[in-house]
Amino acid sequence: MQNKLEKKFLSDFEKNQNIVHKVCRIYTTNQDQHDDLFQEIAIQVWKNYSKFRGDAKFSTWMYRVALNTAISLYRKSSRSIKTQDFSDVSFKIKSIDYDDTKDQQLKALYDGIRELSDIEKALIFLYLEDKPYKEIAITLGITEVNARVKMNRAKDKLKKSLNP
Amino acid sequence: MDLANYKKVWKDQPEERNKISSLDIYKMTQSRSNSIVKWIFMIGLVEFIFWFSINYFATKSGNFEPFAKLNLMTFLDYSNYLHYLIVLLFLLLFYRNFSSVSAIDDTKTLMKKVLLVRKTVKWYVYYNLTCCVVFSIVLNVLIFNTPNYLSLLYDINTSSIDQGQMMTIIIIVQIVMIALMLLVLWLFFYLLYGILLKKLNKNYLELTKLSEIEVI
Repeated sequence: MQNKLEKKFLSDFEKNQNIVHKVCRIYTTNQDQHDDLFQEIAIQVWKNYSKFRGDAKFSTWMYRVALNTAISLYRKSSRSIKTQDFSDVSFKIKSIDYDDTKDQQLKALYDGIRELSDIEKALIFLYLEDKPYKEIAITLGITEVNARVKMNRAKDKLKKSLNP
Repeated sequence: MDLANYKKVWKDQPEERNKISSLDIYKMTQSRSNSIVKWIFMIGLVEFIFWFSINYFATKSGNFEPFAKLNLMTFLDYSNYLHYLIVLLFLLLFYRNFSSVSAIDDTKTLMKKVLLVRKTVKWYVYYNLTCCVVFSIVLNVLIFNTPNYLSLLYDINTSSIDQGQMMTIIIIVQIVMIALMLLVLWLFFYLLYGILLKKLNKNYLELTKLSEIEVI
């Protein structure tokens, strides 16, 4: 059924799917949209996988494809409007001694990010994922200086939203 | 709480509970893409077919006797060949621009390329509109400047419509055609593309505006 390239892609994608889920969470507001965007990202990553050169880390490459799909290619489908908003879905953890405060803080953070523009979301996401400015600038196709300027604005906006 | 602490919260977030299996990922990749660029491509194709059909049926069903009488048939034939050649070039350009769209480009380049696909269709529509306008002008000049031109279009003596009425009909038909074309254009430009490209245009503007920021 699958050739070598497909097998490698499936293994790489499965291992790094957490990146895609995080992107889906910040760019969508309900589970149907989340699933739709996840699928579109999977299609785009697979479509371009043959162009992926092993010299870069797969995860780094996937950040770009996932964000590009979310910002420029993804089209919200009509069925996603009908379903319930997942704003009250918390990211529960199985551990018994899990601190609920963290859960609330994470929810507040996601809610704050969702209020930003698509470009600002990408900037903040890459900041939270510890990406250097050089990589952020290359991913978005802007200069490093512009990335810093825009990042500061996005951070200010997010701070205001988190600490009103 | 400052952002550095939120960053820590972000890093400590649990992994997604609903992990997607390899098999499901495989199934996803076999399904059809629902991307904006694919929709632009499909709508673009519809536009190509629409304008091509207008030209094709106009040349097939039109009455060219008056043109023949004015020795304009060779001119019409050649301009038609040229038109088909231009349509073919547009189609090639359209397909080339569509194929160049790739999610591995940087965000700004990707958006630029998606908008270029749309622009190619826009130029094609403008080209067709120009053709229509030029053809209408030529036709009107012929009607109003050629003595007894209307007698080439129909037999004035036997027809119940007099010359003045015929002129009015010609003008009304032209106005209706222009209104119809404008309506179709409005539907395509503002409704379809407007809805499809609203987000992309907004994001592209935000990124290009960003490039204009001068930092001291």
